[in-house]
Amino acid sequence: MMLPLLLAADTDGGLPGPFQVNFGLTLWTWLVFLVVLIVLQKLVFPKLLGWNVEREQRIAAQLAEAERLQAEAIKGMEEQRGLLAAARTDAQAILAEARQAAEHERATAIEKTRTEQDEMLARAKREIVAERERAVAEIRREAVELAIAAAGKVIEQRLDAPADRKIVEEYLTEIGTRA
Amino acid sequence: MSDGANFSIADMMFHHTGDAHELEFLPFGVIHLPRFEPVHLGPLVLDLSPTKHVVFLLLAALITVGLLYLAANGIQRARAAGKAPRGFSGLMEAFVLFVRDEIAIANIGHEDGPRYAPLIMSVFFFILTCNLLGLVPWGASPTGNLAVTGGLAVMMLMVIEVGGMVKLGPKGYLGTIFPHVEGLSGAGAVAMSIGMAPIEVLSKLVKPFALAVRLFGNMTAGHFVILSLFGIVFLFGQFGIISWGIGIVTATVVTAIMFLELIVALLQAYVFALLSAVFIGMMQHEH
Repeated sequence: MMLPLLLAADTDGGLPGPFQVNFGLTLWTWLVFLVVLIVLQKLVFPKLLGWNVEREQRIAAQLAEAERLQAEAIKGMEEQRGLLAAARTDAQAILAEARQAAEHERATAIEKTRTEQDEMLARAKREIVAERERAVAEIRREAVELAIAAAGKVIEQRLDAPADRKIVEEYLTEIGTRA
Repeated sequence: MSDGANFSIADMMFHHTGDAHELEFLPFGVIHLPRFEPVHLGPLVLDLSPTKHVVFLLLAALITVGLLYLAANGIQRARAAGKAPRGFSGLMEAFVLFVRDEIAIANIGHEDGPRYAPLIMSVFFFILTCNLLGLVPWGASPTGNLAVTGGLAVMMLMVIEVGGMVKLGPKGYLGTIFPHVEGLSGAGAVAMSIGMAPIEVLSKLVKPFALAVRLFGNMTAGHFVILSLFGIVFLFGQFGIISWGIGIVTATVVTAIMFLELIVALLQAYVFALLSAVFIGMMQHEH
């Protein structure tokens, strides 16, 4: 698009004005700039920024190391937290077990005590019954003796003790059934 | 040149900002550069004769490489002694690091940035030197020439596109020309893709075109402003005592503009490097 201007540029020997485009100059620009770019890139920038790049790499490495350490620390903490949780669960399980055992133990003890109590009660009852029967028999015997003595006094004669005893005993039994 | 009667400010401005086949060191003399026969490549005529701007390009190259080389040596010496670089070396290191980190890597990315950083740094320092050369006595800015800025921009276009082809692969790269429009499928998507293609291609070309014209325009405009202000001196040269006043005012203003031009020289080098990095980054991260 600038071709006519370019062609017009060289007609009068000079290159008047700033608006003409001389493609030769463009080629020169490329050439010069490429040389500048290559020289700077190969010789100057490594020297100029080498130290800086080194420092940046060191910092980047340190950052990466710090990140790794942090990740490790977090992992360790997680692990510990896991262990702690496991320990807590274990402790709770043990506690529950112990509680259950204690409960069981208590129930057994109570049961045993109750049985023993019942046995004791039953024995006591039996003893009371036996004692009462014995007492009743004793009273009855005493009563027979008294009655015989009393009867002997009344009739003022000695009676055949065993035969009379039998009569009185029958009488008392009669009274006992009546009573 | 300062013959008041038939002096034309426009001629002077064009003469100063345009390219030439001689180097003027007035009043000491003029160096005539050798002229080669133009090379004919089909319809294209290439005049490879060294011109004023070629000389200043070479000078800029020497200064750029030389100064950065000096700075690199200074840095190495300082580092070897276990100290931080100081003075000029320290300044240049800060500069280079700024261009690398804040322009190249910040815009292209941590992954691809370092690969393009030498190019961006070279472009920045080379353009900066070219810009500043226009501000020294007898100097000229090669970057005030469309052929130079155009050359640099075309180079950037190639870097952007070839870098994109390498990074994105053939299919991905074609995607930057025939874009996939979100929310469309079937024939509509194809039609839209093909319809968008000219716009995409144009947008690829507009970017370097803007780079070239921006740099050229800024450099040329600055020189135009300075030369126009100098022109005032010649215009009012015959007004006796008043001309002294005008001269002093003009010289003051031109000095101020010169300082402005220093900033513009730096700024335009920065803008060229920054936009190049941005365009490369956009292409690298195209999906």
